[in-house]
This record gives sequence, C-alpha cells and structure tokens, in this order.
Amino acid sequence: MSRLPHAAPLSWPSESTDLPRDLNERSALNSLLSQEFPNASGELSPIEGGRAAANRQLAAVDAKRYGRSRNHLNGAVTRLSPYIRHGILTLAEVRDAVFSQLKQNNQGRDDGGKMINELGWRDFWQRMWLDLGDRIHDDQEEHKTGFAAAEYQQALPDDVREGRTQLACIDGFRNELVSHGWLHNHARMWMAAYLVHWRRVHWRAGADWFLEHLLDGDPASNHLSWQWVASCFSHKPYFFNRQNLARYSNGRYCQDCPSHDSCPFDGSYEQLEKQLFKVQPAIREGSARRSSRSSSRSGQKSNQKPSQRPNSRPSTQRF
Amino acid sequence: MDPRKPILWVHEEALGPANPALQDYPDAPGLFVFDDAWIQEQAISRKRIGFLYESALSLPLTLRRGDVASEVLRFAERHGADAVVTSAVVDPRLQRIAAAIDRELPLWMLDPDPFVSLAKPPRLGRFSRYWREAEAVVWGGF
Repeated sequence: MSRLPHAAPLSWPSESTDLPRDLNERSALNSLLSQEFPNASGELSPIEGGRAAANRQLAAVDAKRYGRSRNHLNGAVTRLSPYIRHGILTLAEVRDAVFSQLKQNNQGRDDGGKMINELGWRDFWQRMWLDLGDRIHDDQEEHKTGFAAAEYQQALPDDVREGRTQLACIDGFRNELVSHGWLHNHARMWMAAYLVHWRRVHWRAGADWFLEHLLDGDPASNHLSWQWVASCFSHKPYFFNRQNLARYSNGRYCQDCPSHDSCPFDGSYEQLEKQLFKVQPAIREGSARRSSRSSSRSGQKSNQKPSQRPNSRPSTQRF
Repeated sequence: MDPRKPILWVHEEALGPANPALQDYPDAPGLFVFDDAWIQEQAISRKRIGFLYESALSLPLTLRRGDVASEVLRFAERHGADAVVTSAVVDPRLQRIAAAIDRELPLWMLDPDPFVSLAKPPRLGRFSRYWREAEAVVWGGF
C-alpha cells in the first residue's frame, strides 16, 4: 500500500484518546480502522481522500471531452464526485476551474455546457434535500410501472449483494462498487434498473446498499436517482437493453458472460417494456406527451410515438 | 457578537480548505468526529471511513469517534471555548447534531461560497425547472 500524505500539523496538544494522525502508510490506516470499526466491511478503496488527491483529479478534468464521452464507461468522466460530496472541493471551486480551462483553451459555453450542467445536478439534489429533509427516504410519487410499492421486494437479494448473478455486467459493477466505492453513472443506472425492474426489488434496498459503499454516497442524489429509475421521481421508469449496455461499455462484459445466450436484457425496448411492466396505456401516453416538452431526460423528439422508449439514448440523469 | 474563543466543528460536508469556518478562524482548534451511530446503523464500509479519515488528515483537525454532539462539546470544554463555529449543513442528521450542540453552547454556522446565487428560491420538483432559472446565472460568471 502507498504512503499517506503528511498530516497537517496541529497547534494545540493532543490527548491520548484522540484518533492518531501520525500514520505513514495506508496499510497502517487500514489496520487502525479494522480495530476501531470492526463491523465496517471491506478494505480501503484505492481512491485516495484529501485535498492533494482532489487537486490531481481536478487537474485531469477535460470539460470538452467530458461532454462528448461521459456516457461511455471509458469516457472522460471526472471522478470528482467523492471530493465534491464531502466538500474537499466545492461546486464553486470546480465551476471556476472549468471556466478557467475554457478560457485558457479558447473554448466557449458549448464546450463546457455538459460539465456545468452536471454541477447543476449536484446543486439541485442538495436543494431538494434541504427542502425534503428526511422525506428523501420516502417514495416521492407512485410507481408508474403498474406495480404498487408493496409489490417490490424489501430486501436486497443475496446473489446481487455477493456478485453471483451470473450476469458479467451486473457482477462486474457489484465488484467495482464493493472494491472501489465508485461506479460510473451509467453503471449505477443499469444496476438500479436491473434491481428494481428485472428483480422487482424496492429502490430503497438498492439505494441503502449503494450508500454502504459509495465514497460519494449522498442520500439526496442517490435516493432520488434510484427513485427516478424506479419511476417514483419521474414520469416513467428507466430501463435499458443489451444493445445499450454493450454500446456504452464497448461490449466488455457481454463477450465472456456466462449468460451470453440467455441475457435478460436482450430484446427491443417494446419487448422489454411488455415483459417488465403492467401495461398502462393512459400513463404511457401521458408521460410521452410530458416528455416531449422536457429536454432534460433524453432528448426525445416531440413527434416520437408514445410506444417508443426514449431510453435507447443515454439519459442525462445523474446519480 | 462574534465568538472570542471558539472551537471549530468540521463535518463530513465540508472537509476542504474552502470551509468558511477554517477560513475565518484559522487559529481556532478544529475537530472532526466519526459518527459511530451513523456508521453502525448504515453499515458504512471501511472504504468510506478511510476516505473521510484521509481527507480529515489533510486539514488541521483533532480526530475522534463517538457521539458527535457530545464529542464537540467535550472538545469545547477542553479548550475553554465560548462557542462552536461550523459550516452550513444540508443533511438532516447533521442538522440534528447542530441543534444538540446549540442547546449547550452558541453554534455559529457559516455559509460557503454558493454554486449559484438566485434572487429567490428556485422551483424544485424536477431538475429542468431549477435549471431554467439557474443556468443563465451560473454562466453569468463566465
């Protein structure tokens, strides 16, 4: 394990019962935490905390490339979320860094629009949390899937928690979640949709599981994004198909997947919709009309037929 | 009246140098407390605790674990403080801790630099409504 950065010096005396600050190696921190918090599962993440690590990550941001490639698992995503969530970097600092970069590169608003938009999402979630308080844990609206909240399983299935679903993508995301404490936004959406719609698990079980592990775990953005997928914080459920996942993951999971020939995500959006949801034509048509006025969801065109799902395109929804 | 001899309570929403409490009171003793109840009840993994630990180490803070409000008040007593200064909190759990501290000792809560300052509270409910009002203001700073 690597060395820890030098701790900032204190100008006041320590007490023997204070937690130690003189740890040189990450392995020493790992041992300390195993003693102090024996019930906290797992090991340290390879993702380092602290301002120096945050600054390194911020220096690597490319706002223009982010805008073009962010929906791909290997796209130029910023990985700033853990640092922003804990105020190691503030949204104002990141906003100013993006503005500086755009000016330095003679780039304009179009080049940095997506990145600034994502910072807006974070600000929005925080405002929602201030507004909702503890109600963030409740269903904001009814599900639009045709199923009542009580029809969703309350507990996280063991095979999902343990990475034994035999779906290379879902088990891969689970492993990254548990080992790194960070997942690409698209992977979060796929995993949430799988749990809620394919396994019919209540969003809360998945959302709480994510918060155990995500370094950027934030009940506002996490819970409301799970509810967005579930359809109790949106006009319609989010789901995806194999083609969508393969495209944005460069097929990295499908190739050697043990369920290659029995993939539950295989099918058109129309087929999957029939399979996953109770048919509710009135809601579907209504939601399609509403979506046609919304630019935030999927870029759906206003002349799109109600039966066509907008989910074939990556959404701008952010966890 | 400004606090004359405060201590700083740095919480997990503001573990960076932009924390207004650290900026305004650079010489005051600061504390970060790992919230035992939260870690236990939410089954917080070691990764998350380690990330917070490493982040807190990069700031001049005494580190403790336990009941947060009790630890903050004990730290204040240890330093003969007449007030606690912190930064604004969003999490209702932290709001409850702040209220518990404030019942015993004056608590000063400072606002960090905002991402966007809007003349009136934006309409929430959906991101698109908020962003229609906020986007132009954000880009006004460009």
